[in-house]
Amino acid sequence: MRDSKRFLHPDAIKRITRLEMRARHVVEGFLAGMHRSPYFGQSIEFRQHREYTFGDDPRHIDWKLWAKQDRYYVKQFEEDTNLRATLLVDVSGSMRYGRGAMNKFEYGATIACSLAYLLLRQQDSVGCVSFDEKVRMIVPLRAKRNHLESIVQALEVSSPRDKTDLYPILREVAETFPRRGMMILVSDLFSPRDGLFRGLKLLRSRGHDVMVFHLLDDDELDFPFTGPTRFEGLEMPDIVRCNPRALREGYLKAMQTYLEEVRRGCTRNNVDYVLLRTSQPLDAALAAFLSNRLGMHHRNRT
Amino acid sequence: MLPLVHPFYWGMWFMAAPLLIHLINMLRHQHVEWAAMEFLLVSQKKHRTWVILKQLLLLLLRMAAIALVVLALAQPLLPDRWGNFLGAQSTHHIVILDDSFSMSENLGTLTAFDQAKNAIQRLGESVIRPREPQTFTLLRLSRCGGRYGGTRPDFQKEPVDAEFAQRMSNTLESIQVSQTAAEPLPAFEAIQQLLGENTGERRIVYLLSDFRSRQWDKPDDLKNRLEQFDENHIEIRLIDCVEELGRPNLAITSLEPEEGIRAAGVQWRMQFTVQNYGLSAVRNVPVYWSADGKPGGSVIIDAIPPGRWAKKVFDVNFAVAGEHLITANLNADAVDADNKRYAVIDLPVTTPVLLVDGHRTAGNSKRISDALTARKGIQPEIVSIDYLSVPKRPLSDFAMICVSNFAKIDRMGVEALEKHVAAGGGVLFVTGPLTRGDLVTQDLYRNGSGLFPVPLAGPESLVVDPLDNTPDVQSEDHDVFHNMDHRVDYLSMIFVKEYFATPAAWNAKSDPSLRVIMRLRNGAPLLVEKNFGHGRVLALLSTTSGTWNNWPSSGPSFVAFVLNMVPYLSHRFGASDTLLVGEPKTLNFSDPPFEQAVHFTGPGGDASAATINGEVSTKGRRTITYTKTETAGFYKALLTQPSHKTETRNFVVNVDPGEGDLRALAGSDLASRLAPLKYEFEYASKFNTKLDETQGRNLGDLFLQILVMVLILEQWFAWSCGYHVATRMTDPWNVIAKGGPA
Repeated sequence: MRDSKRFLHPDAIKRITRLEMRARHVVEGFLAGMHRSPYFGQSIEFRQHREYTFGDDPRHIDWKLWAKQDRYYVKQFEEDTNLRATLLVDVSGSMRYGRGAMNKFEYGATIACSLAYLLLRQQDSVGCVSFDEKVRMIVPLRAKRNHLESIVQALEVSSPRDKTDLYPILREVAETFPRRGMMILVSDLFSPRDGLFRGLKLLRSRGHDVMVFHLLDDDELDFPFTGPTRFEGLEMPDIVRCNPRALREGYLKAMQTYLEEVRRGCTRNNVDYVLLRTSQPLDAALAAFLSNRLGMHHRNRT
Repeated sequence: MLPLVHPFYWGMWFMAAPLLIHLINMLRHQHVEWAAMEFLLVSQKKHRTWVILKQLLLLLLRMAAIALVVLALAQPLLPDRWGNFLGAQSTHHIVILDDSFSMSENLGTLTAFDQAKNAIQRLGESVIRPREPQTFTLLRLSRCGGRYGGTRPDFQKEPVDAEFAQRMSNTLESIQVSQTAAEPLPAFEAIQQLLGENTGERRIVYLLSDFRSRQWDKPDDLKNRLEQFDENHIEIRLIDCVEELGRPNLAITSLEPEEGIRAAGVQWRMQFTVQNYGLSAVRNVPVYWSADGKPGGSVIIDAIPPGRWAKKVFDVNFAVAGEHLITANLNADAVDADNKRYAVIDLPVTTPVLLVDGHRTAGNSKRISDALTARKGIQPEIVSIDYLSVPKRPLSDFAMICVSNFAKIDRMGVEALEKHVAAGGGVLFVTGPLTRGDLVTQDLYRNGSGLFPVPLAGPESLVVDPLDNTPDVQSEDHDVFHNMDHRVDYLSMIFVKEYFATPAAWNAKSDPSLRVIMRLRNGAPLLVEKNFGHGRVLALLSTTSGTWNNWPSSGPSFVAFVLNMVPYLSHRFGASDTLLVGEPKTLNFSDPPFEQAVHFTGPGGDASAATINGEVSTKGRRTITYTKTETAGFYKALLTQPSHKTETRNFVVNVDPGEGDLRALAGSDLASRLAPLKYEFEYASKFNTKLDETQGRNLGDLFLQILVMVLILEQWFAWSCGYHVATRMTDPWNVIAKGGPA
């Protein structure tokens, strides 16, 4: 596991130019590192018996067990429907920041592709939406293996723009994808929090499972700058000249307040929230995703 | 105004370094395109004023730290106590210079005194530098009162100006080590009087000395005085001029005539003592002597153990009566002053002996006079008892006085006798039928405070016991029986019929100064001796006329006793008084025949020459006190008659032999004896290393301590400003890192 993860580190992944190859590499490397996957199997795979209650499909009653015990039990299986997952990837200007191996956009695009590859591999439907100040490209839901190429094209944005409010974006997505499914938002969430939470709430009200991958660079979390520095906004026109060490404490405090607010907002809207550093190995997103899916299974069954 | 030395002036430029670094950093911005501007703007808006203030304070702290480093290196000096921080406080340097002759110890190329003078010269040059007013007092121990006269400072609160170093140099050049044994205590007392109340000036007392053991081994008085200095905020610096201790030194501590008959044409002996003050024994020490300026010969002392003395004699014989000058000297060693000893011997033509008798027939005195004729050079003179009251010649002119068979001696006679004996004369009392015990006890014994050795009860007969063969007289060894062969046999021939008994209640052991030389068969004292002042008194409690005993006719023992008694009782006759350097000489003379002005000359040349008018003391007598005895040697007093005929009286002045004891205390020993007194101890050869500190209190250490505090404050302040890179921010929401669901 540790050896395989070594090759999933952003420094290693960065050397792979093509996004599809990156995704393949990430997913295969992730799966190869696991001895056994407990999270998914064939849709006809038996899981457990449960006593029959009103409303259960009579086709699932185990008649053999009825013959032995004279009681009705239904058989439950791991999965019996395809997942419809839509990847919402932020391609705005703020996502271009990064002084490490990958900037936030590269990191986000890689984990989006990796998730798409993973989902397509298990024959789930995957769609993709890239956005900045508005929706830039929409890739419809498909379950074909070659659908990954369309998603990659959607993520290759040449001229990023500023990001404004997320609510119109998410509302447009909700309208574009009316059927219940899974929405995976990959963004640094540098936008008004009201719009973000309203958009997430809208998606949840439409029956979507929503998962947020919040990408931040190490610099944004630690603010390690020293010496007189001129900060120019990637999405804002402001310029700040300062000694960063003097503002560090206030910055970090504001950042923590922001992160806390985002986390609480996500929790309040029943949205799974994952904060990722761009320096973390890329399988972290896959692990979080699969963990999330297992959680959805349990929620759905109970 | 702080007196600062060189590093301060260029060092202060470094204070601008933090400001320059700050300005340079302002020009060297790095450029960052930043996504999370929202939070940066929030932080800047919230902390802008405080950040600027903290940056300013931090900048000032760093500039202060550099300033403190520079100040600590510059070692600035505060003029004096912080109460006068801004004022131009004056400093009074009080230098006490030990010029006793032990300071003439030869250290090689220099003497200890030279070391002291060099140190004072350096101090004099250094005190010119400060801007604050400086005053200087220089006082020698030999000029600090005590037995050396009044306080006469070389400088007394002399203002220090540009020419002071030259004046100091001239003064030091004229100062020579004295021959006194001056001690520091009078100097401390003199300084206390000179200084008076503190008027706010800083006072530093420097004592430049050799710290000899005999003065500093038990320095209770000195310590008390120094503690008073300390209590009065007077700084004390003890400067030792002798670093290497234990140099060998020999001293002639006495030179005087041996007991015996001294007269012109008679050979007699001079006795001298040589003390070894060194730490090892010395052998074959030659002592050279001279008489009247002519070399007389030498005496070799075989060995003197360390710390001990040796006594030797040499024979002298002067054909001419009068005063003779005798000198003894040693070879040169560490200290020269104590290598010479001087003596003046007044040699009479004959030795005059005064025989005072209470009976008109003078039977007792005649027997003594007859015995004295057996020795050449003794001239007895028999007088009546009234002579003591109105002497024709001073009693001091007689080598010995014998008072026999006296009834009563009037008050003036008793006083004259007591004065004579106290000054070193000798008296023999012989009782007789006229003697009244009650008067002797009352007038002469006076409960032991008078001349007479014992109280007398009355005459008693010695009971004869035919069956007892014990001799009537028993004796002890004594100088009066010197060279008396078969003493016991001769004295056993004495038969005593009567004697003067002492009261039954009286015990001879009650007076430790008393010695019973001869006793009767019944234990009663017969010949008793008592020391009185510098003189000696003998009392024979029987007669010498043969009335009460047969001693004068019992054989040669009586003549031998009388001849031995004369030198014994006249041991100081003819010897001049022993004056020590600095002690005044008192001269008595008659006016007329001498005029009142007396001219003195001494070994010091012009310095010791003086013409002094004598003051009338008693009718026809004048007294002169001569004080210029600052040099050891022979002095002359020239008395002039109206006919211009002159008479010379010689006297000698010697050094205090104890000053030649060169044992001294090391710094650590001195510290243990003076603890807990606060003072600084330095050696004169290294004195210049601390001179700068005399100009004020060094603030270097204080600035160093403040610097440490400022640096700690700066670090804390910089830390509180967030100017240190912290560890990576923790993100508790990173569930993936934790490996579990949110």
